[in-house]
Amino acid sequence: MKIYFELNGEQQYVDIEPGESLLSLLRRLGMKSVKQGCNTGDCGACTVLVDGRAVRSCITFAAKVRGRRVTTLEGLGSPGDLHPLQEAFLEAGAVQCGFCTPGMILTAYELLSKNDNPTPEEVRAAISGNLCRCTGYRKIVDAILLAAKWKREGRWR
Amino acid sequence: MRLRGIKRFHYARDVEEALSLLSAYQGRAALLAGGVDLARAARGDLEGLIDITGMGLSYVREEGGGLRIGATTTLTGILENKAAQGYLGGFFCEVLRQVAAPPLRNMATLGGAVVSAHPWADIPTALVALGAEVRWSDEKGEHRASVEELWQGQFRKIFRNAVLTEIRLPAWEGAFAFEKLSRSACDIALLNCACGLGIEDGKIAWARVAVGATPRRGRRLTWLEDFLVGNQPGEGLWREVRDRVEAQVEVSSDRRASGAWRKAVVGPLVARTLKRAAEKMGDA
Ligand SMILES: Cc1cc2nc3c(=O)[nH]c(=O)nc-3n(C[C@H](O)[C@H](O)[C@H](O)COP(=O)(O)OP(=O)(O)OC[C@H]3O[C@@H](n4cnc5c(N)ncnc54)[C@H](O)[C@@H]3O)c2cc1C
Ligand code: FES
Ligand code: FES
Repeated sequence: MKIYFELNGEQQYVDIEPGESLLSLLRRLGMKSVKQGCNTGDCGACTVLVDGRAVRSCITFAAKVRGRRVTTLEGLGSPGDLHPLQEAFLEAGAVQCGFCTPGMILTAYELLSKNDNPTPEEVRAAISGNLCRCTGYRKIVDAILLAAKWKREGRWR
Repeated sequence: MRLRGIKRFHYARDVEEALSLLSAYQGRAALLAGGVDLARAARGDLEGLIDITGMGLSYVREEGGGLRIGATTTLTGILENKAAQGYLGGFFCEVLRQVAAPPLRNMATLGGAVVSAHPWADIPTALVALGAEVRWSDEKGEHRASVEELWQGQFRKIFRNAVLTEIRLPAWEGAFAFEKLSRSACDIALLNCACGLGIEDGKIAWARVAVGATPRRGRRLTWLEDFLVGNQPGEGLWREVRDRVEAQVEVSSDRRASGAWRKAVVGPLVARTLKRAAEKMGDA
């Protein structure tokens, strides 16, 4: 079957399998920031935004994004033009292997879009379903709080 | 994604279309709401998926102090709704905030939670305590039942050929509290409890108590509700509750917790939940 949807600001008209996951579709389209960890919705590595809301792409059917707006990390920033959230992750030392990072950043992006002054507790609740095997989470929480501060100061897009 | 073998994906526009598609597939299609459960199901028998999230069943309406919630409303949709936030001092939102993590709540629907009715889940325990009612449609027409009646019957068979349309939460003059024991913030429950109390002239006028993940699905403890009525809330009563629950509630082992552990904690859990409900009434 064919569907239209918007990916990182660009219209797509693509062939999909009726039972295909959004994760599989996005990786076929070259979005390598979208990681496959558990493939069962538990780890958060595959998180992307659909109409600005974080969802697990591994358990979202690709057919469900028909007519919708999908954002992956590639849509937030690029190596030469990092998004403030990506910069905050680097500045706070919140990245080690990096496997969880795209999902963490997009989950944080949704949080900050609704609340640019979260408490550390609210940050922890927001990322409670995103697993990181490397950092111990503390620096990830610091990074999100730093990005929130930058957002309040107008350093955002 | 564990689901395999899907040949066609349909976007149902209304309940009639969803029902006629279900009947055309003769059991080889499933309704798809958030997909959180369905996509994880290792099923190979399905050929068709029928997306029901575009049928106008995503809404929350306040009615006489209660709530009417469309079956395809996501848990986030409920959490962000003003009427839901106000319902019973935010009780139902307090429960939903403890369900999974935000990206899953953005997908999961209340209707999906009612139809899946996982024994370990929190939502069934809260709905049983609240005395929620559900409505569904099949080819014979519209039906309604309390969640307790629904789950006592063969509900999985019903929903092979029916669409759950609405969940109604009644108005209560009193306060409810919910407690969940789990290994981490977003993990599923090892035991959960929802309690409601009405207090008049310093005495308990009505009580609702449900315990779930025992490891069975949430059920009311009607004998405890009867015992509570007429008693005065306070530490003495909570101690008595703890001992009675420990002696009488049936718990057992599953792969996540032993029956011995559940037996040791179920009494304090119920007593703590009741105490919190009483505190919300300003009468502990
Ligand atoms: C990782 C994870 C963590 C979780 N944690 C918790 C938790 O902490 N507490 C808790 O209470 N729950 C928890 N859940 C359960 C969660 O609430 C349910 O899985 C979810 O609400 C299902 O909704 P859905 O819309 O995704 O259902 P779907 O997967 O779309 O559907 C589930 C089933 O219901 C049927 N169905 C769906 N909607 C209808 C309808 N309107 N009419 C008829 N049939 C229908 C489908 O055909 C399917 O068989 C968790 C689930 C996961 C995957
Ligand atoms: S890969 Fe999707 S949540 Fe783990
Ligand atoms: S940085 Fe390695 S998993 Fe998080």
